[in-house]
Amino acid sequence: MSWRPVKAVVGRELSKLFRQRARLISAMVRPMIWLLVIGSGVGSMLAEQQQDNYLTFLVPGILAMTLLFASLLSALTLVYDKEFGVMRMMMIAPIAHYWIVLSKLIAATLTAMVQAILLLLILLVMGLISVKIAFMLLLPALLTAICCAAIGGLIAVYSKSIDNFAVIMNFFIFPVFFLSGALYPVNQLPDYMHYIVAVNPFSYGVDLLKHAVPDVDTDFSVITDVTVLLAFSITAIVVACWQFSRESVHEPLFHRGTK
Amino acid sequence: MHANLAIQTQGLTKQYGQVFAVNKLDLEIQSGQFYGLLGPNGAGKSTTIHMLTTMTAATKGDAWIAGQKVSDDPVAIRRMVGLVFQDSALDRTMSIDENLQFAAALYNLPPAEADKRIDELLSVFGLQDKRQQKLLALSGGQRRAVDIARGVLHKPKVLFLDEPTIGLDLPNRRAIWRFVEQLRRDEGMTVFLTTHYLEEAAACDHVDFIQQGKLQRGGTPTEIIEQIGAYVLEIDTPEPEDIAALLTPMFGIPIREDQQLSFKILADDVDFSALQKTLADNISSMQWRKPNLNDVYLWRFCSPEDKTA
Repeated sequence: MSWRPVKAVVGRELSKLFRQRARLISAMVRPMIWLLVIGSGVGSMLAEQQQDNYLTFLVPGILAMTLLFASLLSALTLVYDKEFGVMRMMMIAPIAHYWIVLSKLIAATLTAMVQAILLLLILLVMGLISVKIAFMLLLPALLTAICCAAIGGLIAVYSKSIDNFAVIMNFFIFPVFFLSGALYPVNQLPDYMHYIVAVNPFSYGVDLLKHAVPDVDTDFSVITDVTVLLAFSITAIVVACWQFSRESVHEPLFHRGTK
Repeated sequence: MHANLAIQTQGLTKQYGQVFAVNKLDLEIQSGQFYGLLGPNGAGKSTTIHMLTTMTAATKGDAWIAGQKVSDDPVAIRRMVGLVFQDSALDRTMSIDENLQFAAALYNLPPAEADKRIDELLSVFGLQDKRQQKLLALSGGQRRAVDIARGVLHKPKVLFLDEPTIGLDLPNRRAIWRFVEQLRRDEGMTVFLTTHYLEEAAACDHVDFIQQGKLQRGGTPTEIIEQIGAYVLEIDTPEPEDIAALLTPMFGIPIREDQQLSFKILADDVDFSALQKTLADNISSMQWRKPNLNDVYLWRFCSPEDKTA
């Protein structure tokens, strides 16, 4: 197995990211809206000495959000490419089909990291984090990006078309984000919500990012976070590769006209 | 199996639920041949190609490409074959160059080699000046040409063309065929073609037919045209029933399309002038001509015996 095909798939995604400036800008605007609007809105309900704390608390949350959107949406290009035919080019290439999934997930992870680093630079300029914290956040961000790519890969191989994009948004991205502790401390949630947060792999990414920021309460240990993230990512990636390699998945790709 | 065969299949079958898309296909295609598989929509042409190129697995039976069993090592098979899909496999938002560079990288061609090959192919297709253009800016025929260039970048031993000229106008279709001819001549690849346009199959070395997943043996285009008979007689008439009843004892059951009857004439000594005089008052027109591949197709797939059966 040579790396050239993998590099080509990854390169194609990255060049698309930089070409679509609007996408990149909106990916930066989204966390800013959360930080400034929600941050100051919710913050205004808190006592004055807690307001700054809430902004600091939101830093790992919005970083996690950026990683989630970027990584998951990028992984979903597996479905886009199926819709627009490019998947045929990859399917007929002399590479094992699971490499298509792996390459796409590597691309998704890198795409997310590029956006995370841009966001960290903005947060640095705004004075919300120090250089040290920015560096501390990088490794947790990488693990979170991989986890989100894995979630995206799993969704992508089980969806037939991009028509159900709104479904994906409403039933996956939003619940995964809101039920993760990204916006509020988990220990203040009602009991039944605890369980939902605990089965959401993204929660452990958020928690791991919180560990990198001083004075922010965390819910799990670093060991737990890393173990869960790795175990989930590996399992999800293996399942996605296996499902993608089964030929039945692609029949809509080739039989659309005739069936 | 036989290494001198480019393609071989034994009992190759694809089943979707109760439906046999391809049913016990036996093929032997010599290396270097231009092979045509003809048949109506949904007959199993694309499914056959997809099984031979590892895009879908056979339910039963075996297939070999250049002596290598298709199911043993799909990646090795994909290295040997090129496939031009019925629908485009290109990214419309990227340029010709980006598309072909991407495809070349998927085939693990080093960039310099890829660059040279892309140059070479684009000049065959007359697209060398458009290399940096977005695909969106190209005509349908030009896009198809790029699709074919993509299919042959890695110099495959066997090239599969799945209705490559569908939806193209005549000049573009002719251009595509010139390119395919040149590629065959220059690189000696075996070509497996499916098409609806029968005049295109006339260039094939061998033509077979497929209907409802079943292969029907054909031959060279000349042979199968000769099998039809000496002439085809077409009659336009306001009274098709009467004329059919009158002529069926002489020429057999005709194909009827609305007010037109079409007969196969096996004997080459029929006196058409005399016949024309006899029918004169009851017909609006009559013509007799040598059969062509369209007649072969019509008599295979719309023959009157079939409809009554």
